[in-house]
Amino acid sequence: MHSQLTTTDLFTGVLVRLAALDPERDPATIAPWFSDSEYHRLLDSDPARPQTPKQVKADMEKRAERDDAFPFAIRALEGDKLIGFVSLWAGNRTNAEGWVGIGLGEREYWGKGYGTEAMRLILRYAFHELNLERVSLEAFADNARAIRSYEKAGFRHEGLQREAMRRDGRRQDVVSMGIRREEWEALLVSA
Amino acid sequence: MQSQLATANLLTGALVRLGAIDGEKDLKPMRAWSRDAEFLRLFDSDPARGWTEARLKKDLEAAQGKDEPNPNAFAFLIRALDGDRAIGLADLNINHWAHREAWVAIGLGEREYWGKGYGTEAMRLLLRYAFAELNLARVSLGAFAYNARAQRSYEKVGFVAEGAMRQRLRRDGQWWDMVIMGILREEWQGRR
Repeated sequence: MHSQLTTTDLFTGVLVRLAALDPERDPATIAPWFSDSEYHRLLDSDPARPQTPKQVKADMEKRAERDDAFPFAIRALEGDKLIGFVSLWAGNRTNAEGWVGIGLGEREYWGKGYGTEAMRLILRYAFHELNLERVSLEAFADNARAIRSYEKAGFRHEGLQREAMRRDGRRQDVVSMGIRREEWEALLVSA
Repeated sequence: MQSQLATANLLTGALVRLGAIDGEKDLKPMRAWSRDAEFLRLFDSDPARGWTEARLKKDLEAAQGKDEPNPNAFAFLIRALDGDRAIGLADLNINHWAHREAWVAIGLGEREYWGKGYGTEAMRLLLRYAFAELNLARVSLGAFAYNARAQRSYEKVGFVAEGAMRQRLRRDGQWWDMVIMGILREEWQGRR
């Protein structure tokens, strides 16, 4: 006798839902986020640079074609507003490892649990839908808010790339974090 | 302390090796195999027809990709170690990695290598690749009811008949089942 299949909506939490990115409508919302250099610098170690909706659309379409990339829009349930994105890359197939990246472009949603819940949803997707064995990410040592959020979702510190980044004349570490399937399952039991 | 990594050449056995398919050099023997209708009917449920060069190149591109290899499709040429002669094909396809399952197919185009253990060893190598390199959890195949030699070979390497798609094939005015066979990772490990 099999136990019941989870019929919970995998994509929906209490604050946010994970939605498909719409290459027609969404670039107009997302492109302006890149004009906020703080957003870009918290998100990525590449040089901050503004992007046009056309560039965002091209990037979105390229990713949608890949069968190892799972990009989602984060929408606040209230008003169904597009507030950020979260992407999972599952290209390391034989080792069943995924990499995740997340960003909230709409500042008024920072520090209120929206990102943490989106991360929890993508972890459930990674472990219960894609059947991955671990999920990894890199965080910037100066981004304490992000690191706290990842810890809350269950990520552990695994190592450091010392002074891998240089910003504003100061070097900072890049933190390697990860969560294994067993650790995530243990969180489910304790929740 | 971790146990040692297997350093054996995964792709080479005692009789055969699994090699890459060269889209230029290797098409000639493959086209010759496709003139043998019995080979085609043992290998594939598609209507037997000669393989054109254009068709082979298209199939090859599907597995090897244009710019980067297709991570879900692996196509090998089976080469007899003696003379390094191309004697057959071994394919492995993964529907989705989430379920860690592959479907395999194997065929020997050179008749003088039938029934002598070449195909069985090629399948053993393919299974080792599936479990030891790709870390898959199960491997499946479909065997044609009229091909008893193939089924015996699959059983020898550990496949178990799990069911049958009834009347899946119609050939020469008769219906034939396709037997679904599978091997689980634990079963494969237990045999080593």
